[in-house]
Amino acid sequence: MMETWNYIEYAAWGLSALFGLLMVMDWIKTDSTYSEDVLTSSREGELEAMTEESHKG
Amino acid sequence: MAQTDITSSERDGMGPHGTKVGLLRVLGPAHVWALGVGIVLVGEYMGWNFAVGKGGAYAALMACWFAGILYSCVAMIDSEVTSTVAAAGGQYTQAKHIVGPLMAFNVGLYLVFAYTMLEAANAITAGYLVSVVATMTGYGGALDQRPFIILVIMFLAWLNYRGVLATLTFNLVITSIAFIAIIVLFLSTSGIIGDGIMQHAALFEGHEKPYGWIGIVAAMHFGLWFYLGIEGTTQAAEEVRSPARALPFGTLAGIMTLLIAATLTWYICSGVLPWEFLGDGVNGSVAPLFDTARLSGSNALIWFLGIGTLFATLASANGCINDASRAWFALGRDKYLPAWFGAVHPQYRTPYRSIVFLVPIALIFALGAPLDQVITFSILSGLLGYTFMPLNILMFRKKWPMGTIKRGYEHPFHPIPAIVLLCLCAFTFFAVFLGYGTQLVAMIGFYIVVSLWFHFWRYRFVNRGAQFTMPWPKPLGY
Amino acid sequence: MAHYTPPAQSKLGQIIDVIVLVTLTVGALFAPLWLNLAGAAKTVATPVENPTWEALGQNAVQAGQYEALGYTPESAHDLILARFDYSFTSGALIVMIVVIVAYYALLLKFSESEYREVISEKFGKK
Repeated sequence: MMETWNYIEYAAWGLSALFGLLMVMDWIKTDSTYSEDVLTSSREGELEAMTEESHKG
Repeated sequence: MAQTDITSSERDGMGPHGTKVGLLRVLGPAHVWALGVGIVLVGEYMGWNFAVGKGGAYAALMACWFAGILYSCVAMIDSEVTSTVAAAGGQYTQAKHIVGPLMAFNVGLYLVFAYTMLEAANAITAGYLVSVVATMTGYGGALDQRPFIILVIMFLAWLNYRGVLATLTFNLVITSIAFIAIIVLFLSTSGIIGDGIMQHAALFEGHEKPYGWIGIVAAMHFGLWFYLGIEGTTQAAEEVRSPARALPFGTLAGIMTLLIAATLTWYICSGVLPWEFLGDGVNGSVAPLFDTARLSGSNALIWFLGIGTLFATLASANGCINDASRAWFALGRDKYLPAWFGAVHPQYRTPYRSIVFLVPIALIFALGAPLDQVITFSILSGLLGYTFMPLNILMFRKKWPMGTIKRGYEHPFHPIPAIVLLCLCAFTFFAVFLGYGTQLVAMIGFYIVVSLWFHFWRYRFVNRGAQFTMPWPKPLGY
Repeated sequence: MAHYTPPAQSKLGQIIDVIVLVTLTVGALFAPLWLNLAGAAKTVATPVENPTWEALGQNAVQAGQYEALGYTPESAHDLILARFDYSFTSGALIVMIVVIVAYYALLLKFSESEYREVISEKFGKK
């Protein structure tokens, strides 16, 4: 039983590194593929602005 | 543009103000419920029992109900405001439109810290659970809990990074299982199915009020833990298909679920575990529902409640990552924090930079600070946020009286809930003062320093008029 | 009022701002720990020599549950008898009240002046 848990421990370290790596790699890829303009184009209140427009229309 | 369907696939996430990539609107009321209850339910599995230690079993029940009243007021007030102000950031965006920028900055930080600390507390608990399982299955040495703590945070951050629908559907499943586990434990130990093992009268005998009346006040501190985080439902506002309906519905259904779960939990645990053991969450009962299952003598119950405990911690950490990153993202989008954080992933449509940035912060606290400190920091940030809410609703009703703007939900009996909430917050500040006065003052000192930093330095980078994004008329009195 | 155009912040400035905020946060959490001011420890006021369940104030049912959990009167001694100390001075209470009220007053005052600026830029003067 001692050994099984030691392997589980290693697996947890490994998986942690894997998930971290996946995120960082995708992050770098995304930042270099798209312009900062597109990435940070989100604005607050778009839904409200559109509902308002369709009411007027 | 007149008849734009914002949920259509080609228009989704875009908007007239120039949004090219926005958050994805995919969630329904069930996801809102899962987000709210998922964050909180872990409080039933661990942590609430510190209230028993503070004042005895009866004090914990009174704290449970008084905190229930406090949170019902929170849910009602929050539902009204958020059904009108539907944006990521929740209470932060409300504060920005109703009270002012500095208050909004503080509220944003309360949210980020309350959730990040809670996430850290969950990861610590999950690591502890794994070590208990290791011991139960015959592992002799002391298991290194760190890889499991890190794995919980990494896996859930990755899940959040990949998209909100999968994240909250996952939460819906594991939260439901954890809630059912409490119901099953109640049915099978209370005597409704099979023989009951409840012995309330005999266990309370001679220990009704171990600290007298002041214990009942002191218990209120951890009474909040039964419900802490339910207000996080509003963070999903920008990702819900119809916020004006789904948010009040999900939030109010959530608080009802929690009132039931909290009362059942108190009943089950206090009827089986002696109060001194139950009330000591460090040396005594770390996971009281699990300990109750252990005394039931049923292996099936032990496993079910063990799994329930683990699922509750995961659901909570998961929801916390979701909420903290939304709040951080909203602060970045308005340049309250560097604008770099206001980015949305073009494919997954999540605030990916905020999610990644908060991972190491959560790890610092999960690996470096003791559990009760982390919990206290989280509770205090929450409490400061609840104190803001009555001010918020009073100003909201004054600046925009009924009828001046369309409200998706109007809470009854105004201003009674606001006044009750303010009184209960004052009461809870006193309860925290009884045990953790130094931390309370240290933390408010921290918020005063960052407020000055924001007002005199950071605010220069913020657009003035553009912050006000709701299509409302000018507030009365300005 | 005139439209306010915020200055653009350099990359380095953004990074410094984040570092400042994170440092303050970590400081606020760990300072009470380093200064040994993190209170709320329980202590046993009057220890019992050679404890029995009766001497610890436990009736038969209570003792039974402790035994089911794997305790003996010796091992449960500290758990059962340790208590919090809720005594406080009125000076400390007044300090706390002043700090909290001052904090919210500061928040509301600065927010109000910033808010007026936002509203007048958004809606124009009356």
